[in-house]
Amino acid sequence: MTAVVPPLAITMGEPAGIGGEVLLKAWSQLAAGRIRFVALDDPARLAAEAARIGLGVPVATVSDPEQAVDVFPRALPVLPVPLAVPARPGQLDVRNATAVRHSIEEAVRLTLAGRAGAVVTTPIHKKCLYEAGFTWPGHTEFLAALAGGDHRPVMMLACTELRVVPVTIHVALEDAVRNLSTAEIVATAEITARALERDFGIASPRLAVAGLNPHAGEGGSMGRQEITVVAPAIRILQEKGIRAFGPLPPDTMFHAAARAGYDVAICMYHDQALIPIKTIDFDGGVNVTLGLPFVRTSPDHGTALGIAGRGEANPRSLMAAIAMAGEIAARRAAD
Amino acid sequence: MAAQAGSAERPTIAMAMGDPAGISSELAARLLSQEDVRAAAAIIVYGDRRVIEEGARVANVPLDLYVVSPDSALPGNPAKPVLVDLGNLDPAEVAMGEATPAGGAFATENFRQALRLAAAGRADAVYFTPFNKKAMRYAYPAYDDEIRFVSDVIGFTGHTREFNVLEELWNARVTSHIPMSAVASTLKQETIVSELELTDRMLRAAGFEKPRIGVAGLNPHAGDGGNFGREEIEIIGPAVKTAVARGINADGPYPADTIFVRAKNGAFDAILTMYHDQGQIAMKLMGFDRGVTLMGGFPFPICTPAHGTAYDIAGKGIANLGASRHAFFLAVRMASRKPPS
Repeated sequence: MTAVVPPLAITMGEPAGIGGEVLLKAWSQLAAGRIRFVALDDPARLAAEAARIGLGVPVATVSDPEQAVDVFPRALPVLPVPLAVPARPGQLDVRNATAVRHSIEEAVRLTLAGRAGAVVTTPIHKKCLYEAGFTWPGHTEFLAALAGGDHRPVMMLACTELRVVPVTIHVALEDAVRNLSTAEIVATAEITARALERDFGIASPRLAVAGLNPHAGEGGSMGRQEITVVAPAIRILQEKGIRAFGPLPPDTMFHAAARAGYDVAICMYHDQALIPIKTIDFDGGVNVTLGLPFVRTSPDHGTALGIAGRGEANPRSLMAAIAMAGEIAARRAAD
Repeated sequence: MAAQAGSAERPTIAMAMGDPAGISSELAARLLSQEDVRAAAAIIVYGDRRVIEEGARVANVPLDLYVVSPDSALPGNPAKPVLVDLGNLDPAEVAMGEATPAGGAFATENFRQALRLAAAGRADAVYFTPFNKKAMRYAYPAYDDEIRFVSDVIGFTGHTREFNVLEELWNARVTSHIPMSAVASTLKQETIVSELELTDRMLRAAGFEKPRIGVAGLNPHAGDGGNFGREEIEIIGPAVKTAVARGINADGPYPADTIFVRAKNGAFDAILTMYHDQGQIAMKLMGFDRGVTLMGGFPFPICTPAHGTAYDIAGKGIANLGASRHAFFLAVRMASRKPPS
């Protein structure tokens, strides 16, 4: 017997950005597929968006996620989260911030209740939300707060060729270097290893741990964190039975032959993780949040206000995010 | 008659044979067997006849060179490459795949001779096959890198910098082999401006009319408007403005994670990065096998393939010549454009 997989909950994101457009495009390519999803969005704005860019995507208002499963092959199902004012492409309007936030809250609520399989978020515009009183540093922190409890969210970026996890994220490089700690590396790597086992079906994941400094410090001559911080973390992880190895020179660990030797790269700072994945696959990267009680994926791009409403946005990253969330949700439903 | 640099038809390239225990001799022999290479420049090779013959045997290519002794005069505008046989290494003494004092002495001596020829104005550019750092240090304990060695040999004190070059994209960096903890405090507006000036000058020397240089930020998302660091606002941004005011086509700072994608899509000819791995990660992903290293800022260009001596495949005859050819032709291109003195 196959377990029933509830639909994925897709958030509205910034309604003035490309989120609606890529969602409509994604549905038209995935309507016949196995994975089903429901948008937590304003049906009228999605219909208007479809008309504006000339996409013949039918939009259907539904009253619950269960109904969405049946509707999905015929129309993009939408659980209504009404906007305060009509969205205009490229024009931020702080009056719509409440709806953006409600969409996220509702997606998390349905997923925690088991009525949605996972949360897929589309990009938000933080500045606009801040003006409406949003106080979290970003999407991920807000999701962690909604999850309740003491959860440590870990950001993983994945494309078909590479998975990367930065230990430090949105901090100045100087602070990332100064605050790098053995404990942070161990905690991040452990959450990553567990998630790869549970949600990605990798039995005993191999973690390649990057050094911090050029040439991984070259024996301490170009920085000592490899010796004092990173190597001790690797030893602790190994003692816990996790297949971690390194520290590796950051500039040679990402080419194809090296990538074949690991399932995920644990990186010491944001761009050490982001540069390789963007260089390898600019459009197809997926951002996955690990360490929360629910699964969340998102496309690895921003609101792209500059091209909103023109029909030029590429849905690949959102489609990859949906595919990944769908696989994880199916794996969890079968557990 | 002595060879004159900068002959009307084609430039003179002084070539040094690199570390003998890896793929360098094989690459040298194969490169020198190629018709377009032989036609593009007058080539003066420094090394040992026996070592390059061994390289030709491994590469399975014919060797057709003028062999001269170190004390004889160099032929002018030679029809084929000239090997100055320094008689400085017996290949029977080379343990393949091993960094040795003898190998280091061989490579440093070849390099020194090639540099002196160019410094004397008798060659327009220098080219070398890969060195092994450990072996070089046996022979020359003060050896940090090629830049330091060249500066010592020719007594040069000006502003120099290593450039990483793919055919379609150049990369220069403001800081290099220093700890990451020292990067932010090392960044200075004047340094960035002078790196931009040197980058602009080198690209022009390679034939770019008005080179477009993209400048990377230091912090995630280039600081996100000051939220994750202020170096973009206080140091890098003003440096770019100064460079632009001096006629350099510089642009930035851009987030480091997407600046190479922009470049790949044709937005820039070169990227100036703030630290070692910011550029090295992307450049190695974009062209691991064909990258070229240029030592820029010296009175003549010095080029070499970016890869190393590849001890693991030494003697097998399978070394890829791609980067060696790109490095050689970059040397030819820059040598040909050197303004007449």
